[in-house]
This record gives sequence, structure tokens and C-alpha cells, in this order.
Amino acid sequence: MAALLRSARLLKCLPSGLCLWPYAGLRHYAVIPEQKGPAKDESSLGVRSKQAQQFDWALAKLDSSVRRTGRVTKTLLMRIFHDICRTGYPSGNQALLLLRSCGSLLPEVPMAERSELARHIWDKLKELGASYDASHYNALVKVFLQNEFKFSPNEFLAKMEAAGVQPNRVTYQRLIAAYCNAGDIEGASTILGFMKSKDLPITEAVFNSLVTGHARADDMESAVSILSVMKGAGIEPGPDTYVALLNAYAERGDMEKIRQTLETAGSTDISLMDRDLMQVVFSLAKAGYHQHVPSIVDLMRHERGYVPDAMNLCLSLITQGHEDTAFSVLKTFPTLQQENESGDSNNLGNFFLRHCVNMNKPVEKLARYCQELQDSNCHAAPLQFTLYCCLEAKNTATALELMKIMKEQGQPIRPHFFWPLLMQHVKDRNTVGVMEVMKGMQELGVPADVETLSNYILPAFPNVAVARDTFKVVCFCVHVTFLADKENVTFWEHLAGLEENQLELSLSAPQSHPPTHSHGPGVTFYVLVSISVSLLSTEGVSYFLYNLIDSMSEAEVQAQEEKLRQYFNQLKSMNIVIPVNIYRGIRNLLDSYHVPELIKVSSDSPSTRKLAELKAEGKPVGPTLKQLILSLCSEEKLDAALELKSQHAADMATGGYAALIHLCCRHNNVDEALKLKGELSHKDPSVSLDSTKSIALVKALVKHDRMEEAVDLLKEMKEKDVSVVDTAVTLLFHTLNAAALKGDVAAVRQLQATVFTLGLTKPTANLCSPLITAHLQTKDLSGALDAAMECQKQYGHLPRIHDVICGLVENGDTELLQKAMDFVSQERGEMTMLYNLFFAFMQTGRHREARKIIETPGLRARAGRLQWYAEKCVAANQMESLESLVEMTAKLFECDRDEMYHYLLRLCKNTNDWRKAEATWTKMQEENVIPRERTLRLLADILRSNGQEVPFEVIVKCSSYVSCSCLVCACRSLFHSSLCSEAYSELKNMDRKGEALGPSPYSALIRALLAEGNMEDALEVQKIATTHIPHFKLNDIANSLLIITQAKKNLTKDALATLKSMLQADQVPSKLSITRLVQSLGSHGDIAGIQDVEALMKGLGNPLNLSPMMFVNNTAIARIKNGDLDSAVEGLEAIYTSAGEGSQPASMAFVFRKVLEEKNITALDKLSAMAERLANHFASYGPASDLFIQLMDAGMKEEAKFMLARCSAVAEQREALVSYMSRLSRTPGQLCFLALSLLLILSFSFSLNFFDWVCLTVLARSTALDNDLASAKALYQQMQSEGVEADELCLKRLAKLYKSAGESVPFTEPPVSVSLHMPFKFQAHNIHM
Amino acid sequence: MATSAKKIFELFVSKVPWTLSSKEMKEYFGQFGQVKKCLLPFDKETGFHRGFCWIGYTSEEGLQNALQKYPHTLEGATLQVQRNRKVFVGQKTNKEVPEES
Repeated sequence: MAALLRSARLLKCLPSGLCLWPYAGLRHYAVIPEQKGPAKDESSLGVRSKQAQQFDWALAKLDSSVRRTGRVTKTLLMRIFHDICRTGYPSGNQALLLLRSCGSLLPEVPMAERSELARHIWDKLKELGASYDASHYNALVKVFLQNEFKFSPNEFLAKMEAAGVQPNRVTYQRLIAAYCNAGDIEGASTILGFMKSKDLPITEAVFNSLVTGHARADDMESAVSILSVMKGAGIEPGPDTYVALLNAYAERGDMEKIRQTLETAGSTDISLMDRDLMQVVFSLAKAGYHQHVPSIVDLMRHERGYVPDAMNLCLSLITQGHEDTAFSVLKTFPTLQQENESGDSNNLGNFFLRHCVNMNKPVEKLARYCQELQDSNCHAAPLQFTLYCCLEAKNTATALELMKIMKEQGQPIRPHFFWPLLMQHVKDRNTVGVMEVMKGMQELGVPADVETLSNYILPAFPNVAVARDTFKVVCFCVHVTFLADKENVTFWEHLAGLEENQLELSLSAPQSHPPTHSHGPGVTFYVLVSISVSLLSTEGVSYFLYNLIDSMSEAEVQAQEEKLRQYFNQLKSMNIVIPVNIYRGIRNLLDSYHVPELIKVSSDSPSTRKLAELKAEGKPVGPTLKQLILSLCSEEKLDAALELKSQHAADMATGGYAALIHLCCRHNNVDEALKLKGELSHKDPSVSLDSTKSIALVKALVKHDRMEEAVDLLKEMKEKDVSVVDTAVTLLFHTLNAAALKGDVAAVRQLQATVFTLGLTKPTANLCSPLITAHLQTKDLSGALDAAMECQKQYGHLPRIHDVICGLVENGDTELLQKAMDFVSQERGEMTMLYNLFFAFMQTGRHREARKIIETPGLRARAGRLQWYAEKCVAANQMESLESLVEMTAKLFECDRDEMYHYLLRLCKNTNDWRKAEATWTKMQEENVIPRERTLRLLADILRSNGQEVPFEVIVKCSSYVSCSCLVCACRSLFHSSLCSEAYSELKNMDRKGEALGPSPYSALIRALLAEGNMEDALEVQKIATTHIPHFKLNDIANSLLIITQAKKNLTKDALATLKSMLQADQVPSKLSITRLVQSLGSHGDIAGIQDVEALMKGLGNPLNLSPMMFVNNTAIARIKNGDLDSAVEGLEAIYTSAGEGSQPASMAFVFRKVLEEKNITALDKLSAMAERLANHFASYGPASDLFIQLMDAGMKEEAKFMLARCSAVAEQREALVSYMSRLSRTPGQLCFLALSLLLILSFSFSLNFFDWVCLTVLARSTALDNDLASAKALYQQMQSEGVEADELCLKRLAKLYKSAGESVPFTEPPVSVSLHMPFKFQAHNIHM
Repeated sequence: MATSAKKIFELFVSKVPWTLSSKEMKEYFGQFGQVKKCLLPFDKETGFHRGFCWIGYTSEEGLQNALQKYPHTLEGATLQVQRNRKVFVGQKTNKEVPEES
């Protein structure tokens, strides 16, 4: 056995143990790029994550990031933190997860910042109503310890007690560690005193801390002596003890002692993992003994999981300013040997370079690392990657330096390298930043091309003129001179191109989808029913019925109950009988829909009397006889059935025989069964029994040791080509197992061989296992092993190997065990072998040996195997075994700890052992496990059912059916208003009964009510929620809806107040809510209110992208409302006149529309005078065209005409008019003529050109949409008379119209394939629409 | 009005390293035939391109020439080149370099 263990420990030398390596490595590298630059400011992060609304996803991501890589990124953490803040109700374990993540899980963040973050999160969550228990306090201490944060343990204890939270063993342990880290042995002793007075056990962890404590107090002698004290107390020093000692020596740079200690540890069978050695490396580096690092790094065994751990070490070292040490660690990373087939080059060290950039390491160092990485063939293009990171981090200075180095090396530098830098400045409108980058470009000799200028430089300036001036000031001439000279043309052309693009966009604005008509189930139902009855056969109807009910939702079925009943009755009256199996299916469906009343497709059981009648009448009795036999069989009346059979032997059909045979088998009457079978085949030799019945017969035969006949029967099945169904396979297994339990090896073997060689079914592990069972039954372990090996060789299955190995371990048969292990590892790999051995040791209670196995370096968690064993323990009530399993797997790589503890708690629940459950909880804290909610719930359940106080907060789970349905209704109520009010009344009922829900159903219901505009009820729900949940707050969606509702109900003051409180709570209102609020303020004439909102919106970290015109327009409306027309006009005019050329302010159509709607003639006169003034004197045509279009829209054609006459420039506002036209053309019907008249107005004012041509196309399209041939004809005539050439598409449409009206086409129809090649781009777009 | 129905001979290129711009892509793919269109969308948020690119040839021949070469290595990186299967619609980042032949 010892030899076995040794071979296991040498696993890492075996090639197969290594083969998984590079993949693991690769995957972890792949994880890195998810971090994106330095953390952005909190508010913008918040907005982004809010948009994502993927909270659960993020939480799972954080969790899995921790489990897999041992770290999280700050970005991810902050994002989740903000999500939690926004949803507003942090649960206990969310808080725990966040707090725990603020320590060494953030290797990329400096320690001080980490502690600060932890405090911030702690305070913020507390403010949001998170309730903290001991586990949170323990997590906080742990984070402080990890961050080497100095704090007073005594004060901490006092605070904890003041908060009414009892410190537990883990708290004390960690506080001792805190004292010890500061070298304060006296402080540690006081805490030890507390522990003793409370009779808490002193664990290894305490001693380990004391080792550190004495060492830090500069008393190495005492530190070493702790080990003997431990032994004296009956605690063996574990790996952590040695790590503490090693760290102590490392802090002194004492390599000699380190070596000695490592030897001692080795000789006492303590195995130090790579992870442990990494701590030593970290201590050495921190204490400034860089030179000793390589000799420790050399000792590492590169276990599985080495790469993520080593990456974390490197990241921590870089963060702490030891990047050179980190680089020496990086160089020891196993290089990825094989390049992948596409020839992609290596990129080892991406994470390293990125973090160096993020930590602002000097360029010289970066360049050196890059050079070395490239020289050692680890990375193909390290400089380019580093530059990429710089650009991503918007680190202009370093990026420019790096580009200089790249240029020196002859690598190309291109204009688009600067875009990421410029992008940020453009967003911030930071012209100084832009200039800085441009200067850098000039120095690098990279000309800014047109694209860079127009997309990434000019937009930063308010207008071209300012840009030109700025460039001139800095004498930026070489490449930008063309702004002023002849190349200007190109540039302007480009700008013009941009405008065209915008035009294109406005035309391709998404077309409104036709409203989807959701066919009510009723409609579909009737149609289908009539079809089914008229068209389908009996069976068809049955299947149809099944599918129909299956496809209907529960609610639908309930709603359609009456109709279904009618349908059933109709079917019945039509004498349609539904086959039994389909009937069962339907019954099950209806059952699950809670409409049992519908199950009344009654099948009248025929009676013997009826049979006799039929016989007397000389009618065929076959079907009735069969039904009768079936019903007798189902009642297990064998004799009666047999008698009936003998009475009507002549009329018996196959079905009846089959049922009878089956019944005989069940009653163990083999002879009768065989006789019946004989009769049957005599009657019809071609008929065969189905697989279930055949196997049942086989089973009966085997039971009576009639092997020959059984085998023959199996052969017959094959001959008759009976397909074996799943239930038959199960039955077959039972047959085999029954034989096996009798220990009849020969029989099992014979049957198995027959079944598999005949190919009746595929060999499965389950079907193979009876053979081993048979051997085990006779205590023939050697035979069992051989049989298992044979199965593996023949069928690729290794059944019951666990039991075989257990038996061998139990008997201490080393030789056979070795054989078994060799075989398993050869066939299934080392890992499987180790797990098999591990479980065998566990099973037989040899925990010491089991521990050795599970600690084998390189072993990783196999969730499936662990679950299998844990479930076994839970089922068999083996607490001790399960406990040691959980404890032993603590350090197992990738082991899901919460899952493991959950098994333990489940067993505690089964045994109702609350003390064990509580101890488990303490252990979880000690191990820093974040429990999932279900684990906490289970724990709380155990404690509560034993009358214990639950020392933590548990998420309220909707346990009652009512509350669940309430939640569901609330969510659905967005679509069914009746359900919404139902949910509301349900909720009120519950409230009356004193039942409370979790915050989310309340929140959902409030949102739903608000979405309906039902503010009173919503506020009522909020009140109810607040009584149950003191910190209940509306989330941003609900608040936005509230604002909209309030604005609609003219409660503008309230709406404004809501907005203010929202912003105070760091919530983000929706765009719509702001728009509605401002409009409402405008129509109330509340100018101050509008200004208020505008100021508030400007203060928002991330603007909502509101149009500034919205405020301007509504201010104007407000002034008009207040009768202050002059200042309204003044304000608007100022906006239009102050705007520079090129940047036209957006439309003021809204103002015109409002004024027109209210028929405020005075205001209209003033405003139109203003618009004309602006157009005629200031060349600002926006307002005039807005007015024109509004007039058209309002149907005031005459006024529009006059306006056009006074202000002809309007007709040249292509963009505005074309987009108006295209909008019109998409609204079928009434507006077509309006558009036609517009065209007429326009056509006299200037010659037909390309623009009119567009209009015509648009128009032709709109007539085609309406199928309005008359107008189309008129249009075509007009086009001809005006000499406009209609294009192919136009003609095509016209032709279609003619054809569909049954008229002949008066022109040559263009060929079928209409080319999309159009002379102008935006027409092509138009067609695509 | 249109002369002939035009077919599109397009490549879809992925794994384009960030250091390349549409200019380089066009130059490189120009060796297989006349490039009518080169579309390398840039992300307006980050300022980096998205790592994929469409190359449109004027003829089937150019397309075939490009598809026959393997691997396509450009500045040390291997590009993944395949015939474009999906028609690209709704391009928001206008980085199109349309050239009428």
C-alpha cells in the first residue's frame, strides 16, 4: 500500500498528468482580457451596468471568477456593487461576497485602496439596510488582515458587541492574527484569554498566528518553540504552520533556515503546495530579498492550478512595486509548447504587460520586458500589445513613448493608433488634449489623414473655424494646412459627404413594424377544431387533441374550459374514441393544468354481459373481448381472465394474449405463459410479443432457472426483430440482477453474453454490473475484478469498480489492488484511479490514507465524483465520512466549497442535528466560503425547526402558493391589467393577514401599477412594503414611471420632487420621464422648474443624451403660456442666431405644434414672423421649415403656400422636406393627397431636378402602399407631362398596381430583376426600407 | 437605368490585429484582384476597430484567388479569411471606402 501511495504522489512526473496543462494555462490567459483599463468613475459605471441589467449574470461571474482564477477585477466588483446598490436590497450573502472580494482577491489593486473599498462597501450596504452577522464581521477582519490594514482588534470587538453581534471562534482567531501580525503577543494573549473563558477550542490557526507573532516580535526562538507546544497540545503542525515559519525566515532573508525548514516539513510528511511557496516568495520580495526569489521559484512543482496562482502572485508583486521580481516569476511560467495550428504566435505575459501599464510603470521597464519576452520567444508582438493596453487605458504619455520606441525598431505607426486617445478627448471636448495628441503625431511623423481629422479631431471643436484658429496658434501647419489652401476642397467634400450620410440615416430610420395581432386562443381554437373534425381520422383527432392541449398554457386551458368541454362532447357524439394511451396523456396534461373536471372522456368498461349479448347476436366480439381481458388483467384477475380466454378461444386476438402472458409472468406462472405463447404463435406465427412482455417472460424463466428457454426467447426476439424499449432494458437489468443476487455467475454471464452478442441493446454500465454483483455476492473479489476488467475490455464499462476496490482494501489484498489500480489508470487515467482509491479508503474508514490521496499534487476537483460520494453519504447517513470528505477537499483545486458544505448541511437536516449545522457554519466562515442562498436557507431551516435563533438574515422566500402567484401575476400584469389589479388585491389580503413578501414582488407590482398609470394603488403598495421592509425604496425604473405618471396627472411639483429624491439616491431617471416632466412643466408655464431640471441633468455624471432643444422649446411654451410672448420669441431667436454655421440647433417644431394645437393665433403670428426673419436675415432656415411642415401637418395648406411664397428658401431645405416626405409616405391613406399637393406647391417654385425625382419615387411608393391606382395614374401622368423620367422601380410598382387592378400596363414593364444600382446612394436605401 | 445586375464577391476576414487599418487591408487584399470595397468597422466608443473586415472584389476571380491562398499572414498575424455568407446590413460606423470602378 505504501508503494501505491508513493506512486500516487509522483503523479506530476507522469506524462499523462501533464497533458492537460497547457489547456489549463491557455484558459487562464484567456480570462485576462476581460479587465478593461482603470476603473472608470462610479456613476458612469453605474449607468452602464444598469443598462446591462444583468445582475445575476454578473454575480455568478464574480463567483466563478473567484472560484476559477482566484481573483476578481475591480471593474467587475464595482459593477456588481453598484448593481446591488441600485436594486437597493443587498442580501446577506451578496454583502458577504462583496466584502470578501476586497482582499487578496484584488491583486491588481493597492492594499490601502482595497481596505478603503471594503470600508466604503461596508458603510454603503449598511446604509441600504444590509444586516450584518458574525460572518460579515469575520470577513471584514480577514480582508483587513489580507490588506495588512492596521486596526485595533479591541475596538473592533467593542464595535461588534455594540452592534449586538456575538463574536465567535473564527472572529477571535482572526483578531489574534491581527495582533500577531503587528508583533503584539500581549494583545494576542488577551484575546486568547477571551477564548479560554468562553471555552472555545484553540485550533491550529491560533498557533500559526502565534508563530508569526513571535517572529514579528523578533523572537524567533519562541516562534520555533510554538511547534513543540502544539505537539504537546496534541495538534500536529500542518502546512500552514510551516508556511508561517517560512515566512518568518523569509522576512529575515535567512535562506539557510528556509531550506532547513523545508526539509523538516518534507520529512514529517507535510507537503507544501506551490501556493504555499508563493507566499514565501511574496514575503522575500516584500522584505527586499529579491535575490533569493529564484531559488524558491525553482522548488515549485508546477502543479495544476499553478498558472492562475502564479499570475496572482505576479499581479500582487507588480502592484506592490516589485515588478522585476514578478518578471522573474513570469519567466518560469511553462511556455506553451505547441503553437496552435493556424500558426498563431505565443502571447505569454499579456496579463503582466497590461498590469504594468495600468500601474504606470516607467516606459524603459516596459520596453525591457517586451524585449526579453520577444527574445525568449514567449511573445510575438509584446510592444504592440503594450501599446494597445496604453491606448485602452488612455495613457497618452506612455503610448507616445512606446510608439517612438516602435518607430525606432522600424515598426509602422499609423494614424488610427491615435484614435483611441483622440476618442476620449472628443467625448470630453478637450481641445487641449487633442492638440497634445496631434503634437505627438507630428513628432512621430504621422500625418493626420482626412478620416482622423473629420472623425476624431474636428468634432472636439465647437466648429471648424475654432479648429482652424487653434491649429494656426500652435503653428500646426505641415499636415493641416490644407484646411486653408487648395486641399480645402477635398476636406469640404468630405464634410459634405458626412452630411449626405446623415441624410441617409434620416431616411433609413427604422420603419414602424405593423402591429402584431396576437390571435386570441379562442380564434385559433375554433379554426383548428373545425379543421380537425372535418379532416382528421380518429387517431388524428386524438393526437390533435393532445397537441392542442399541450400547446395551450394553463391559463388558456382554464379560460377555454367550456369550449374544450363542448369539443369533447362533440367528439363523443361523433363516436370518436380516443385510444387509451393518448387519453392518459391528455389526462395528465389536464391534471397538471388543474382542470380535473375536464377529465370526463369516460371509457365505459364493457361487461361480460355485453359480450354474451354480442355473441348471441352473432356480431364480432373481438374488440369487446380484448377490452374485457385487458380490464381483467389490470385488475390482476388471472383466473377469470384465463377462463374468459378459454371460453372465447376462437375470438382471441394478439393483444389479449399479450396481456394474458404478461399477467402470467407477473403471477410467476411460467408454464401457463409459455402455453399461451405457444397458442399465440400457433394462431399467427408472424406475431411477436413486444419487448417489455418478452423480457418479463425471460425474467420469469430465469427465476425458475430455465436458462435454455430464456436464451431461446432472447434469440427469438432478435429473429423477429423486436425493438427493445427503455423500460424493457430496465427490466432486463432487474432480470440479470435477480440472477446475480442468487450468486449465479454462470447464468448472468450467459444472459449477458446473449443479449450483447445479439445486439438487443447496447451494453451499459448498469447492464454490465450484475456480473460483478454475482462475483461479489460469492465474495470472489478476484473474480469480480477480472469480470470488471473484462467488461472494460469488451464493452468499455467499468461497473462497480468502487465496490471491488473497497473489497480489496478491506481485505488488504495489495497485489490485487495494485493490479486493479494499474488497470484503471491505464484505461481511465490517473485521475480516475486516484478518485477510485480515495473513495475506497473513505468508504472503508481509512481516512489517513484517503487524505494522502486527495492531497496528491495536481489533483483537481471532479464535481461529479464528489457529488456521487457525498450523496451516498447523505443517503446512508454517514456523517463522519462526509465530514472528513468536506474537510479533506478544502484545498482541492477548483472544489466548490459551498456545494460540499451544502451536502453536509443536508445530512444535518436529515438527522436534525442543529449543533452540527451551527458548527458547519462556523467552519464555513473560517474557510471564507460564501454560502449560496439555498445553503443559508437550509441552515436557517435546521436552526429554526430546532427552536434556535438564526444568527443571520435569510432571504424571504415566497413559500406560499399565493405569494408566488402574486409575484407571477405582478410580472405578467404588464400585459394583463386585470391580473395586475388581482395581484394588488391579493397583496392587500396578505397584508391584512400580516404576511410579508420579499422586496422584489413589491417592486414588480409597483412598476406594473405605475405602467398602467395607477398611481394611488402603487403608492399604497409602497406603503405596505415600507411597513414590512423598513428600507424599501423604489428602484429607478419605478421612480421614472412615477415621474411620468405624476407629470401626466399634472402633479408637476410632485414629479419634480420625485426626480430630486431619485438623483439624491444616485438613481438614473429614464429619458422619457425627463421629457414628460419638462413638457408638463412647460404646459404649466413653470419656467423655474424647467431650469431646475436642466441644471439637475447637467449635474448628472453621465448625461442622458437629452436634446438641449427640449428645454429651450418647453421654456418657450412656458413663456407663451404665461403670456410673455416677447421673451419667448427672444429666447428662441437667440438660440438660432447664436449658433454658428454648420451646427444648426435641432428643431423647434414642438413649439409650433403646440401653438397650432392651441390655436393661439397671436403667438403663431409672432413666431412665424420670427421664423421668416431668421430665414431671410440670418440664413437660419430650421424654424421656417419646421413651421412649414407643421402647417402641412395641421392641414393648413393655404397658410403653407403663403408661407412658401414669403420665404422661398424653405423649398430648398432638402433634408427637412425629404425626411418629411418619406415619413408621410409611410403613413398609408389620408396623407397621400396632402403630399401630392405639397409636391404641386414645390414644383412651381423651382425646376424639376433630382430632388423632385426623389419626391416622386417616394410618392410612387406611398401610392403603391395604398393600392391607390387612381392617384398613381395621376401621378404618372404628371411625371410624364413634367418630363420626368420614371425609374425602373417606379415603373415596376406602377405596373404592379395596374396588374393587381386587372388593367393592362400602358408602358413596357421593366425586366424582373430590378437592379439596385441607383445613381444616388440614399435612394438605394429607400428601396431597402 | 442600371447597366447590369451586380453580384457581390465578398470576403469576411476576422482576427484582424488592431494595428492594421483599412488601408493596409486593402493593399494586402489588392494583390489578389481589384478591391471594390473594404469595410473595417471601428468602434466609436473605444477608437479601436472590431477585428473583422469585409473585402469586396469586382470579380469572382479576385475572390477565388484570395480564398486559395493559405495562410494569410500579415505583419506576423494570421488572418482568418472566408467567403462572406451573410449580407452585411445597417452599418453604423461608416468606414466604408466605396469606389466605383
